[in-house]
Amino acid sequence: MKVEDLCAGDELIYCGELIIMRDAAQKRLCEALDKGNVLPVSLKDKVIFYAGSAKPTEGSFGDIGPTTSARMDPFLEMLYRLGVKATIGKGKRGRLAVDLCREYRRAYLLAPSGAAAALAERVVSLEPIAYEDLGTEAIFLAEVKEFPLYVAIDVSGSNVFDLHIDRG
Amino acid sequence: MIRSEVIAERVERALIKANTEMNPEILSLLESYEGPFSDTLKENASIARKTGLPICQDTGFVEFFIFLGNEVRLEEPVDRILDSVVRKVYSERPYRYSMVRDPLFERENTGDNTPSICHISPVIGRTLEIRFLVKGGGSENLSRLFMLSPTATPDEIAETIVNSIREGVARGCPPLKIGIGIGGSSEKAMLLAKFALTREFGERNERDSYAALEERILREVNDLKFGYQGLGKGITAYSVHIETFPTHIAVLPVGLAVDCYISRRGRVTIEG
Repeated sequence: MKVEDLCAGDELIYCGELIIMRDAAQKRLCEALDKGNVLPVSLKDKVIFYAGSAKPTEGSFGDIGPTTSARMDPFLEMLYRLGVKATIGKGKRGRLAVDLCREYRRAYLLAPSGAAAALAERVVSLEPIAYEDLGTEAIFLAEVKEFPLYVAIDVSGSNVFDLHIDRG
Repeated sequence: MIRSEVIAERVERALIKANTEMNPEILSLLESYEGPFSDTLKENASIARKTGLPICQDTGFVEFFIFLGNEVRLEEPVDRILDSVVRKVYSERPYRYSMVRDPLFERENTGDNTPSICHISPVIGRTLEIRFLVKGGGSENLSRLFMLSPTATPDEIAETIVNSIREGVARGCPPLKIGIGIGGSSEKAMLLAKFALTREFGERNERDSYAALEERILREVNDLKFGYQGLGKGITAYSVHIETFPTHIAVLPVGLAVDCYISRRGRVTIEG
């Protein structure tokens, strides 16, 4: 996925690797950086998916779907400094996130929310790679196929939530 | 005497259904939605039904509203029975455990999705009625309390609610169901708002004035045109439900609670 080529409003199908993390893991990464500790994972050139999966079954790695990205805005600059090239989640992000996408030339994409059983079928592999004690909030490495995505904020700072909706 | 296992069996079935089967009214609205992710959303409903996977990975906390008749006898406290059901359903099935024990410091997962949140109201009679919501975090974070002036008008209430939805809806999962509690005390208004989410979509407040306010707020929210997933296509809200309670001369509390696009809820009634 070439981040520079994505335009707000584009729909795409993604196949490849995702690093999954959310609130608790990002808070812990931030604390580790503050203390000068070595991080347990490298995030350089990674795509982050804000999610927390449900339990696996015999036939699948379990339900998976995006959580509200706006909650992750305070950690976005940390991710960009660590080399993250895009984030995926659900919903509108704040002004801070839009400015950071423009400044660092990074993108924010949406995955469908309320579609976690359908997304479960598109997960090829899923394994925890750090902070396993956090359970569903641990950091996971996933391989996905035919994952439907929608570009919400592109590298120029165009934001689909401003483009599509006339808020009077 | 209503035996614990009778309550457990009925609630278990309803809780599984709420997590895996889309409400038929939501499904039929979804059929006519054409926009971003429409195929995946439609596919999701049928996969969940076929596989037993939950509709959403956020299988929520379970919030129960219990109406306990004064002539009903139970074998043990009703909240204990309901926590056992939640523990069983969430442990045996591929549902996520989303509850943490300490809310601020350790935030360690309880490992079985309990405790549930139980609101018990005594009523006259021999009936036990249990309503519940399976409530995800995204929609819960859009809850608000407004302590308005007692001289506030219906216009101001509508404006307050619509502004709050406009500000928050794109962080949730629209179309939303909107619950509003008017009156009582601060926490009573919130509780009424949450309880309003247990109503059927077509249920209107029995007083015409409030029913009209429900319809007006729904119309104004849909005029915002956020649509499915907040991306501008289709409806923004399914319904608005207002509950009221007497209040103090100096206050006018207004609580707002919203439910997400899959609006998972259930209702079980057992005669004692």
